[in-house]
Amino acid sequence: MLDRTKIYLSLTIVTVILAVAAAGVVSLEAAGAVEKNKIPAFTLKDFNGKSHSFSDYKDAKAVAIFYVATRCPVSNAYNKRMADLYKEFKAKGIPFIGINSNKMEDADEVKIHAQKHGLTFPILKDINNVVADKFKATVTPEVYVVNTDRDILYHGRIDDSRKQDKVTSRDLYNAFKEILAGKPVTVKETKAFGCTIKRIKK
Amino acid sequence: MKQAGILILLWIGLFIFLSSGSLEAEPIEVKKIGEADLKSILASYKGQVLLVNIWATWCKPCREEFPDLVRLQDFYKGKAVHIIAISADYPDEVNAKILPFLEKFKINFPVYVQDFPRQEDFINYLNREWNGALPATFIYNKENRQQTFFIGKKDFESFQKEIEKTRRP
Repeated sequence: MLDRTKIYLSLTIVTVILAVAAAGVVSLEAAGAVEKNKIPAFTLKDFNGKSHSFSDYKDAKAVAIFYVATRCPVSNAYNKRMADLYKEFKAKGIPFIGINSNKMEDADEVKIHAQKHGLTFPILKDINNVVADKFKATVTPEVYVVNTDRDILYHGRIDDSRKQDKVTSRDLYNAFKEILAGKPVTVKETKAFGCTIKRIKK
Repeated sequence: MKQAGILILLWIGLFIFLSSGSLEAEPIEVKKIGEADLKSILASYKGQVLLVNIWATWCKPCREEFPDLVRLQDFYKGKAVHIIAISADYPDEVNAKILPFLEKFKINFPVYVQDFPRQEDFINYLNREWNGALPATFIYNKENRQQTFFIGKKDFESFQKEIEKTRRP
């Protein structure tokens, strides 16, 4: 083969490969796959049947989304801390949304639990864990702090111990402070033991 | 002579009676383990299939699947498949929480309590894809490589199925 032909052939092959790859990426986004480092958009009903969408929070400085449970001892160990953080940070421009994706914990149970434990932020019922699947959330409690473009600014635990007197690192609190100060979040990703989200069998 | 014989029998009887307490199950030991301990424990099972179950006394599905782990170890006794369980309770809760739970079972595998300085280091040591949800199970093949990882409660049949997948050459 002539050198020129070889070059044209190689260029054609590379172009075809790139075109196919680009088409693949486009079709993935069209299919609604989670974009990297962003949460998905969602609409869910709270335990009073009222619909909430992420887009409702256009004016927030950031939004904190908590995967919670009514029957998980770890999630419950954080009820007071979540209520206290909400009190402090809602006023500063960071609203909270709770999401309960557990198959056995229905809206009524979530409502009674929230009222009993002073959780006053909206808690949405994620039936069949559809939204949890899109988030790839796995544990309760699990927090996602995002900006209004749905970029994840912080993901993981509230702090480093389910026992409040053993806490040494208030990771969520620190993230909130940094966000409000306009600084990048230093510790963006954390982990802690918790309960699995109780998913339906598919 | 007859009296001596009777006395001897009585003493033997008394001895057996007094020592029968120690014939009961040995007290369970739950060792605290850090990273170096975990590394050497995992490595010590090379050549065998190893199932590592992470649980906690506060975790209801963990408590519910525990009897199936005991059954599983009985089933695989002598078949080069081993189970170990590592508790995510606090190390200072061994006596107050862990032992009282374990005493309900005829535990036939080692149970440890994780004692890493930071829980995220323990979580990431086992698998970076794991976010800390319990129960979590990790299965290592004979080459000592982690082949399977899943979260959530499983039953005897499901555990067995996962082990058999790993045993296949």
